Amino acid sequence: MAVSVAARIEARRALEPLPLLEGEQDDGTINKTLFDYIWRKTGKGWLILFLMGLGGTGLLTFAVVLTVAKGIGMWGNNIPVAWAFGIINFVWWIGIGHAGTLISAILLLFQQKWRTSINRFAEAMTLFAVMQAALFPVLHTGRPWFAIYWLFPYPSTLRIWPQFKSPLMWDVFAVSTYFITSLLFWYLGLIPDLAALRDSSTSRWQRRIYGIFSFGSARHWQHYKIAYLLLAGLATPLVLSVHTIVSYDFAVSIVPGWHETIFPPYFVAGAVFSGFAMVMTLMVPARRFMRLKHVITARHLEAMCKIMLVTSLIVGYGYVMEHFLSWYSGNKYDFYQYANRRGIWYDGFPSAGRDPYIPVFWLMVTCNVVVPSIFWFRWPRRNVYVMWIASVLINVGMWCERFVIVVISLHRDFLPSAWANYRPTWVDLSLLFGTICFFGTLFLLFLRFIPAVAVQEVKELRHELHKEHAQHEIPEFSQEALAITELEAGETET
Amino acid sequence: MTRFILAEFAEPEAMVEAARKLREAGRSGLDAYSPYPVHGIEEALKLPRSKVPLVALIAGVSGAIGGYVLQWWTNAVDFEINVANRPPPAWPTNIPITFESGVLVCVLTLFFGSLFYFFGLPRTYHPVFEAEEFRSASLDRFWISAPLKDGEGPEELQRKLRELGAERVKQVEEAQ
Repeated sequence: MAVSVAARIEARRALEPLPLLEGEQDDGTINKTLFDYIWRKTGKGWLILFLMGLGGTGLLTFAVVLTVAKGIGMWGNNIPVAWAFGIINFVWWIGIGHAGTLISAILLLFQQKWRTSINRFAEAMTLFAVMQAALFPVLHTGRPWFAIYWLFPYPSTLRIWPQFKSPLMWDVFAVSTYFITSLLFWYLGLIPDLAALRDSSTSRWQRRIYGIFSFGSARHWQHYKIAYLLLAGLATPLVLSVHTIVSYDFAVSIVPGWHETIFPPYFVAGAVFSGFAMVMTLMVPARRFMRLKHVITARHLEAMCKIMLVTSLIVGYGYVMEHFLSWYSGNKYDFYQYANRRGIWYDGFPSAGRDPYIPVFWLMVTCNVVVPSIFWFRWPRRNVYVMWIASVLINVGMWCERFVIVVISLHRDFLPSAWANYRPTWVDLSLLFGTICFFGTLFLLFLRFIPAVAVQEVKELRHELHKEHAQHEIPEFSQEALAITELEAGETET
Repeated sequence: MTRFILAEFAEPEAMVEAARKLREAGRSGLDAYSPYPVHGIEEALKLPRSKVPLVALIAGVSGAIGGYVLQWWTNAVDFEINVANRPPPAWPTNIPITFESGVLVCVLTLFFGSLFYFFGLPRTYHPVFEAEEFRSASLDRFWISAPLKDGEGPEELQRKLRELGAERVKQVEEAQ
């Protein structure tokens, strides 16, 4: 009997989900492990990374000042490539932000339990990414201090209003609404944890500081739950609308390579794809150095790998469809645009020489379609090193995708007489590198001072899982159940 | 001067059960405190239905109407702009901002409305915070508060709460 049970366990182990919480946890140990690092002294590694981030932020500041003082001429933009790094980086950053909302809002509505330990983390990433994104269009206006008059409807003495038929105006409203919603959603989720931080702190000034940001959480739970759920319900269509509108910036124009109806879904999928890659890039080291492996388990990482695989397939379908339609439409400008991108021509169509950006296109295909397909197999989904490298490559690939869409489409438009190549200047590169450092700096501050895991939700999850065990709702041979049986068996033997 | 009896429970189910028994025994003004939302407590305390969804609906609809009217009035009435000879009130181009402003107004109302109205933010103090042990309510314990009636002695209620499984029972007074 015992043997057959062991054999069945062994056979079933592969099929059952990995645990969401590792080890025997109770509310006390969850508080201790998840609030502990906030009360610890600042580590050396954190300090070094933080100083490096500050250095990069200094470079960003310098590049911004230079852009504002000397003008957009400091960037490599030209005619026809009037939109270059500014818009590439804008779309890249805002796309990264989308995973945060997907995890916190959409997975909440779908009642996915694995969302619980990673939502706070991803939401913070959203906020910081949208902050970087907003920098670029504002700087691209050339005179940011006037931008507010141009962009927002305010009754000026000129009696003129913004032109609301333009997708660029839609963008202003979409991005600002998105930022405000993400911030408030994140903060609403944080309130109970700030109260817990206040109540677990030891010194008076710490209690005061966290007390300012939190409120006594009491019978407000009833309203709180509904408000949180409604915010999630609003954030879900909002996040889809934001990247749809970003794609309209391109799709509403008539430039070959931009004028496509597939853009909205393809942009949204790409955004989720790159966002999950960024969450992965940040989470794999953070869970190790902050000792969060018991709440962010292999189950979470595997689920994220699967989402990356699915979104990579959607993005790959988008690529194939674009190229197919460029042929199927019979539009020669469109056909030229895509043939020129991939560098592969068909008979009867004259080649105009090799395009300098063909490698960027193929790098995009490699990083976004070939690399994620390793997640069809289990071992890359269980190996943190492999998935970390894959996630970095996906971020590179998604940046290349925006380069392909923006620069390659613009530099070969309708008339050969208008063609020109694009080359970024060092100011362009400093802005990109600087925003990455600024993003990292903000993220480090977040990890240091704010609970990176939604502690209150983990406690609730633990309670739910516990009740499920008690009611035998968990499959008999799942690893969650096994951990308990093994523990009990060990106790009786000794 | 209101006096409260506070009782601490280790498990949420015990707290819900105790809250239900006290309410059924005719006690009013009960409240419960927990580190995370506890299933069934609304029903045990017979809390009225939350008005949050109604407020959100009204805010969202007025935001959307406001957003549409803003675009229509500015671009088609007050200062007509001819864009590629489209009709001035070209409604399909106004839909994205209509949606966004509906969401924006709804979210702002939900958040600030919840903080200031439903959570009662201006009152950052509550007599239950007088008890130092009450700090565990946001960490790992579950509390019930019950106000004492004028002239009522605390012993009876304290005994009853202990019977219902409370681990610790405290009396606090609203400071003047």
